[in-house]
Amino acid sequence: MHPINWIIVVAYLTYVVVDGIRRSKGTHELEGYFLASRSLPWWAVGLSVMATQLSAVTMIGTTGQGAIGGMSFIQFYFGLPLAMIILGFTLVPMLRGARVFTAYEYLERRFNAPTRSLTSFLFLCSRGLSCGVIIAAPSVVFSALFGWDLPAAVALIGIPTVLYTMLGGVQAVTWADVKQMVLIVFALCAVVLVLLVQMPVPADDALRIAGATGRLQAFDFSFSLTNTYTVWSGLIGGLFLMLSYFGTDQSQVQRYLTAKSVPEARNSLLMSAYWKIPLQALVLLVGILVFVFYLFQAPPLLFNPAHESAVRQGAGDEYAILEERFTEAWTAREGAAREIAAGGGRAATEVFQERETALAGIREEALGLANRVTGQPARDVNYIIPHFVLTFLPLGLAGLFIAAVMAAAMSSISSELNSLSTATVIDFYRRWFRPEATDAHYLRVSKVATAFWGFVACVVATYAATLGSLIEVVNRFGSFFYGSILGVFLLAMLRFSHGWAGFVGLIAGMGAVASVSILAPEISFLWHNVIGAVVVLAVGSVVSLVMPRRPDAEPSPAAVGE
Amino acid sequence: MTTQDRDDAARRQFRGILLRVMAVQVVTLLVLWLLQSRYAAS
Repeated sequence: MHPINWIIVVAYLTYVVVDGIRRSKGTHELEGYFLASRSLPWWAVGLSVMATQLSAVTMIGTTGQGAIGGMSFIQFYFGLPLAMIILGFTLVPMLRGARVFTAYEYLERRFNAPTRSLTSFLFLCSRGLSCGVIIAAPSVVFSALFGWDLPAAVALIGIPTVLYTMLGGVQAVTWADVKQMVLIVFALCAVVLVLLVQMPVPADDALRIAGATGRLQAFDFSFSLTNTYTVWSGLIGGLFLMLSYFGTDQSQVQRYLTAKSVPEARNSLLMSAYWKIPLQALVLLVGILVFVFYLFQAPPLLFNPAHESAVRQGAGDEYAILEERFTEAWTAREGAAREIAAGGGRAATEVFQERETALAGIREEALGLANRVTGQPARDVNYIIPHFVLTFLPLGLAGLFIAAVMAAAMSSISSELNSLSTATVIDFYRRWFRPEATDAHYLRVSKVATAFWGFVACVVATYAATLGSLIEVVNRFGSFFYGSILGVFLLAMLRFSHGWAGFVGLIAGMGAVASVSILAPEISFLWHNVIGAVVVLAVGSVVSLVMPRRPDAEPSPAAVGE
Repeated sequence: MTTQDRDDAARRQFRGILLRVMAVQVVTLLVLWLLQSRYAAS
């Protein structure tokens, strides 16, 4: 990469850390460190909510997904707007009214201490691991692109993030998120503009080609439990997933607990309700346009430069033959693409699809060869956009995009580290070990906890990168209890629920999801959230009705926080 | 202001927000639908 691009990346990293440290001044109390003394404006909180959800995986993985699978992934978010509105009028006032630090703290007031500890423990396990995965994804790509050692790439992203999160607390996290979100949207818009300017065919023709190859297919109305992305799985399963993520995951709950008031917290969530689907469409559009761009501009056979150079060294002759076949097939496909652009109709589309299949076959052979030579799982999807950025973006803009990828990673990691530290200190250290210590003491412990979780995340990132299946394990592990935790919070809203109902329901919900996952693995993971939540509600309701309420029973939802 | 008034105000606010958010989503989805139907058949 050109030195000017590197200067932009380094300047950005320095600015984020220095600004984070500057914001550490005035953070002397626990409520200030974890909740910014509940003083932040709705727009800053709203941007932080969006930045936390948008990670580097979105910038490089989802754009790559757009290039390969097109717009269908957008259906995953169809339940999000409704989820945000429901949360704004249910959980937000409930948690804000209870004046809690963590969502799980509320569960002790409604049910009992074991329910709080179990939900918080599950959060720590899943977020601790997923934080590592979030660092791993861009680190692997950067190490392949720039030839760095993986631990160096992990450190480059992890250390500045841990520093500003540890020193500045939630103030630093939120204000860094605001800047990072602006940078991310700017970089995405800039890439779309560059693509439209550099595209060898007019925009209308580019869209016609994208449409002819099925990449503008945004809606699948088939009612199938096994298809991951359909309108129904997005609307129903996605609704439960988003309710669970934004309503019960401390990394998101903590964002809106920092807002000035309930209406401001509600508005911060509504920002996502308005803009998440359009933003995600923009992300996928980048990928789709890059796909069309590479129909007219010869791409490499392997997008991952580390794999390409390893294959050239390890199996040079075999690779040269594949490259020759690839060039021939690509030229044939380019001709078919030009036919579609010229209005060739269905016949041209059929020829194109035939040639596309032939080209994909050669690419599969090359990936198999890379797999054999390197011994690593060879998947190119995460390298398509970085290749375009580093090869075709003008000077300065490439640096800006790389900085935006780092921003996306850092904004998610910092929120997660901050919430991991909060749950550790509030739900475990203060609850079980030192209930009466001073704020200064808790503040010191919180900073140590942030550093500890940062270290864990970096170690996990180093291993997650080499163990490809770990990412899948983390995702599967999360899907076991996400819906069940949502079920516990829904149960908490029912006035008659009490005592052990939450705990027993949670165990039953996780058991049900685990059973479905083992006995019917073909059912899409989005439906696991629905199953978990429904089982918790059913079992928890029965337990509440069967078990007698204690005389010193916890308050009903309406009374909590009054 | 009575509890009933507050509940009515909250319900009105909820309906208003729901309508506005859904209007933005409908416009976005309509654009995606138009893109899909305009270009998929060619």
